[in-house]
Amino acid sequence: MKVDYRELVHTDRVHGSLLHDPEIFADEMERIFVQGWVFVGHESEVKNDGDWVKRQLGNESVIMVRAENGEVNVLANRCSHRGTALCWEHKGNTAFFQCTYHNWRFGLDGGLRAVPFPDGYSKPKEDLGLDRAGQIASYRGFVFVNLDGSAGWIDEHLGPAGYELIDRLCEMSPSGTIDLSKGWIGHRVQSNWKLWPESDSDGYHVGFVHASMSASTDTYYDDVAVGADAVKSSRAVDYGRGHLELDWRPSYKKELSWLGVTRERVKEYYSALAQRVGNDLAEQMLWDGPPHAFLFPNLFLGETVIAIVEPVAPGEMIHHHTSVQFDGADEAFNERLLRQTEAAVGPASFITTDDAITAERIQAGVSGTDTSWSSTSRGWIDLSRGLHREEIDEDGVRSSDASDETTNRGFWYRYLDAMTGKGRH
Amino acid sequence: MTSAELRAEVEDFLYREARFADEFLLEEWEALLTDDFHYWVPAGRLEGDPSKQLAYLNDNRARVATRIRQLQTGKRLSQLPNSPMRRVISNIEIESTDDEEALVKANFVIYELAAQSSGELRVWPGQAQYRLERVEGNLRMSAKWIELVTAHAGQRNLTFLI
Ligand code: FES
Ligand SMILES: [Fe+2]
Repeated sequence: MKVDYRELVHTDRVHGSLLHDPEIFADEMERIFVQGWVFVGHESEVKNDGDWVKRQLGNESVIMVRAENGEVNVLANRCSHRGTALCWEHKGNTAFFQCTYHNWRFGLDGGLRAVPFPDGYSKPKEDLGLDRAGQIASYRGFVFVNLDGSAGWIDEHLGPAGYELIDRLCEMSPSGTIDLSKGWIGHRVQSNWKLWPESDSDGYHVGFVHASMSASTDTYYDDVAVGADAVKSSRAVDYGRGHLELDWRPSYKKELSWLGVTRERVKEYYSALAQRVGNDLAEQMLWDGPPHAFLFPNLFLGETVIAIVEPVAPGEMIHHHTSVQFDGADEAFNERLLRQTEAAVGPASFITTDDAITAERIQAGVSGTDTSWSSTSRGWIDLSRGLHREEIDEDGVRSSDASDETTNRGFWYRYLDAMTGKGRH
Repeated sequence: MTSAELRAEVEDFLYREARFADEFLLEEWEALLTDDFHYWVPAGRLEGDPSKQLAYLNDNRARVATRIRQLQTGKRLSQLPNSPMRRVISNIEIESTDDEEALVKANFVIYELAAQSSGELRVWPGQAQYRLERVEGNLRMSAKWIELVTAHAGQRNLTFLI
């Protein structure tokens, strides 16, 4: 049966079957993860020629590799002979990829270099290279791919907001560049992948799901996301294209609140930053902090953390995260970012563990919803909060109180476009 | 102290520490720690400088106190209710020792029920390395480092005391 997504995604509500139906999951892997732009990794993970990392994009295993000419390629992790996966480790360095079945050898651009007993082939070698990503784009080290090459160009996908959010993070580095090579940590959750764009950009739950954090430690989330004042001053923003932000900036009560320190403790970082951007801008950045934003469909810019959402099955996903490291910042500062990351995000953290349990409870709740779609009265998820007070500016950017579901709706608007082929070329 | 006596004392300590963790006897568990206790679960082998790596868990004494306080709030969703769990410890090796300090390695398997959500039975195999010190006559733990068999594979929620 062909799913009619317009029946399942409405402005004020979406149907629970979107979170557990296998047919829908299969459609998503094709329409979002193959036909659309997705984040794959960061150039700092493959600094040297021959460095590679393995990534899972929906159903596809891919290799991101830096070739001898310095270019970053994204190749299918699948031998073009009979389909054997080429890489098993998470990362490595190599001069070529060699399949272990019949020893075909591929260059770092995916081209077939050598086969044993070549006289058995009359096909040209050029026809037998690895599948490559149809489109690849890199911005300030963030590498995006569109596997089938059919999505529009990257500017249409990221839009001005996508670029601005990445800029806002990278500009906080004394050198203007960030490093994401400390490794990705996987958090395995028994939930649908779409509950993470939701959780990562939901401003309504913080005071409830994370009450144990507020009760046991001094956290800046109390100022920006807990209680009636905070959820009014902070903003939930939908930039369009599925790019979302919880904008804490209006709520911070002191500079460096997002890092939980005084300037005295990070003097070296501040002076290195001010040297490049000047004192006024550096002061402003200390107040504003890095963005808390989600870029459709799988990239979370979580302040000093970056996360990738990886779907595994309708009720299974992995939230991978790493710590932002600022090139040009002193070692103590970057270690502080590592410790902050360990506290906030991941399987043993103080924060996203409670998001994980919430996602698993949602999954348990919605898994019983009807997939015959015969009844429209049952199994809906309400997303109407703040619809009546949301503001739209001249660029179409929607914003509202941080506790409003503007961000959640923004995800689903983009989702519906992706699933119905709207805006595709 | 003979090595047999020390081994008996170390084993007693390890089993007690394990039971306190399994039963969420948080204050009792915390009382086993020295003031400079270090708790570490890396996303790989137990090697290199922990301060330079991104780990699953890397608590100094202050942070482990926060971890325990968070569990004690009664609002820690991911441990409401606490996971029913039991661990088995074996292959205990006491590496280098004088009467004041012992470095101990042991294998463990934890069986944990995700009673807070899916009801999945979760299995956590690995090796624990302990540094034990004698404080006023009693053994205390100044480090507990955990190398999970699944260290590279990502983890389910790890919100109990491992
Ligand atoms: S399958 Fe790879 S060489 Fe045959
Ligand atoms: Fe959360």
